Amino acid sequence: MREIINMIVVLSLICAASGTLLVNLKQATKARIEQQVLLNVQGPTLMAVLKGCDNDPIADRKKVGDVTLFPARKDGKLSGVALEAFAAGYSGDIGVIVGFDVNEDKLIGIGVTTQTETPGVGTRIMQQGFLKQFRGHSLDGLDLSSRGGDIDSVSGATYSSTGAVDAVRKALETYRRIKPQIATLWAS
Amino acid sequence: MPSVIKEFTKGLWDELPPFRVVLGLCPTLAVTSTAENGLGMGAAVLFVLTLSNAIISALRKIIPGKVRIACFIVIAASLVVAVELLMQAYTYSLYQRLGIFVPLIVVNCIILGRAEAFASRNGVIPSIADGLGMGLGFTMSLTFLGALRETLGNGTVFGIPVPWEAFRPAHLMVMAPGAFICLGLILAGMNAFNRHMSRRKGEIPTEPKNAACASCAACNLCATARKEN
Repeated sequence: MREIINMIVVLSLICAASGTLLVNLKQATKARIEQQVLLNVQGPTLMAVLKGCDNDPIADRKKVGDVTLFPARKDGKLSGVALEAFAAGYSGDIGVIVGFDVNEDKLIGIGVTTQTETPGVGTRIMQQGFLKQFRGHSLDGLDLSSRGGDIDSVSGATYSSTGAVDAVRKALETYRRIKPQIATLWAS
Repeated sequence: MPSVIKEFTKGLWDELPPFRVVLGLCPTLAVTSTAENGLGMGAAVLFVLTLSNAIISALRKIIPGKVRIACFIVIAASLVVAVELLMQAYTYSLYQRLGIFVPLIVVNCIILGRAEAFASRNGVIPSIADGLGMGLGFTMSLTFLGALRETLGNGTVFGIPVPWEAFRPAHLMVMAPGAFICLGLILAGMNAFNRHMSRRKGEIPTEPKNAACASCAACNLCATARKEN
């Protein structure tokens, strides 16, 4: 009996100690990890979408509800915002960063952040041929040509193209919803 | 003091984890496509191994024998999660490249093997020396294998092109079969070298004396078999 109690007590104590250590370490590194993930996963795409801005969109990011907004400034004035949205592709979610021009109410451009599409087929949605269709597109009528819009899908990759366009449309809805707040967010 | 130095140096050649004892092959084969990956993986193992050896040997008197493996795993797993968090926070690109193999350090034979065979039977200082030596040997081995594969398969070392004009890299070497080919060549080379050395000393060349038996406490089959002979 003594032996059993001894085993339980020692094992529990070791587990408790390591649990405490890990909780503290997790909290201590949380902010930095979030920063690193943004920098390495979303960062390159984000900078490509918002190129030409003269601030650091990741450092200036702000959250509205559960949406993270990345602002782009030019000559000190807010010129655009970017946000990420996800939609189901052929295999798994496709993550897309969409940049919006806040002054002219149109798309700046889009970039794909995360995807697990078929290499060589679905991954062609990441090529300029598909992506450039969104550059400077207005907020209306953005849909696949098969659904009455003017975006041509990548041939042979209908699911992937649909996923990308769905994600852009989700981002568009979010943008419309939070548009009134955007101007006041970075008013400084 | 001499024994501490002995515990430290044995991991560098006589019981070199991946090449002499042939332990911890999963990361050895999987992540060594470049020298940098090998070095990063080795450093993570070095950190976990040294600390787990230190903690386990400090706690060895209060850990009950029947639950010792569970305790060792909890300690190793906590250290691995700590390494994973630190890697994410400070070297994110390395973390992305090593991927699943960082959490898999928990089940690396070397960690549990050293805990069971050494740290649970020796004092804190020799255990730290043992962990440092083994970890350093592992790091060097992985960096060497990574550098070899990167040179042959990609024509670079640590990302710097090899100054070797006529050399055409064979892409095979950075893929999985290349890992086996290089490992086999290294093992053969080390065996040939050891035989040569023992012949020069006038000993009869035999199988590697240390083989895995010194570090493998899990089974007593070899020892019993040897006694019976």
